[in-house]
Amino acid sequence: MNYDASLWLIFIVLGLATTLPRASFIVLGNRFSLPPTLQRALRYAPAAALAAIVVPDVLVIGGNVAPVNPKLAAAIAAILVAARWRNPWLPFIVGMGVLLGIKALLPGQG
Amino acid sequence: MQATDFESRGIVAGAREGFIAFLPVSVGLIPWALVVGMAMTSAGFTPLQAMGMNIIVFAGTAQLGTLPLIIDNAPLWLILATGLALNLRFLIFSAGIAPGFRGIGTGWRWLSGHLLTDGSFAVCYDKMMQVDDPRWRLGYYLITGVWTWLLWQTFTLAGIFAAGIVPKSWSLEFMATIALIVLLVPMAKSRPMLVAAMVGGGSAVLLRGMPLRLGVVTAICLGIAAGFAAEHWQEKKAA
Repeated sequence: MNYDASLWLIFIVLGLATTLPRASFIVLGNRFSLPPTLQRALRYAPAAALAAIVVPDVLVIGGNVAPVNPKLAAAIAAILVAARWRNPWLPFIVGMGVLLGIKALLPGQG
Repeated sequence: MQATDFESRGIVAGAREGFIAFLPVSVGLIPWALVVGMAMTSAGFTPLQAMGMNIIVFAGTAQLGTLPLIIDNAPLWLILATGLALNLRFLIFSAGIAPGFRGIGTGWRWLSGHLLTDGSFAVCYDKMMQVDDPRWRLGYYLITGVWTWLLWQTFTLAGIFAAGIVPKSWSLEFMATIALIVLLVPMAKSRPMLVAAMVGGGSAVLLRGMPLRLGVVTAICLGIAAGFAAEHWQEKKAA
């Protein structure tokens, strides 16, 4: 795939969307603070956002919900391994192993 | 100059202690950086584009999380909204650690903000609150940020070149999905977080037909609301 110059605009916008929240209160000092209720609600943003990206990625194939597919099986394997062991490499080894194993055994399954 | 000598000892002494505390934590960055490098290459970025993103954005979660949207040619506002949602935790970290920058100038604060990561926050928070000498604190904090930056750029670059020599049939792009799972699983250990994740993920699937991919943003908002509601409900039950 080829990207045009607008890719760099995306990077700059994302860079601002990273540095500004990070620098916000450190730069402002104690002059401002977030309402505690908002702080508590915002803690859920990363989990909600990650799931909103991952779940459709492994559950939707070509626009339809596919409850049986190699990516979903690999994702479930990775979840189980990540929940059980703290080794940072293991979910990648097991997840990729399951994905490639199923694809090798069942050619044509996505 | 005597004063400068004394000051630089403060910053160097802080940096030395910060480095010792941070080194073991920082090893966890390596697989993560390799995966982000591979994912950017699998998305079709040239090494220059990938390193450009890595240096300009410098946020693994936001980089990985927005890659599927960039590949799909999603509108800029949606990429921005998703990036912001993934970075909102930094507002909280920034608010939390801000008192630790008392007595430190604005320029250093901007640099420190740019370098704020989950690891630096976790390792530095206590010392930033307790230690009196601002130069010692700045040294302690900055070494963790600078070391993170160096490790991150080095191992992302390694990942970019590793992905370039691996055949396409190995589906390396799926490593990005696994990486997001690795981030998500420890978060979802508390009940309200799990609710937030399940509602966010479930509604993203149900709302995938919404125009302009509005479904993703709607799903994130629903997930936040559900997590917050679950927390209230849990507290009421406990009380």
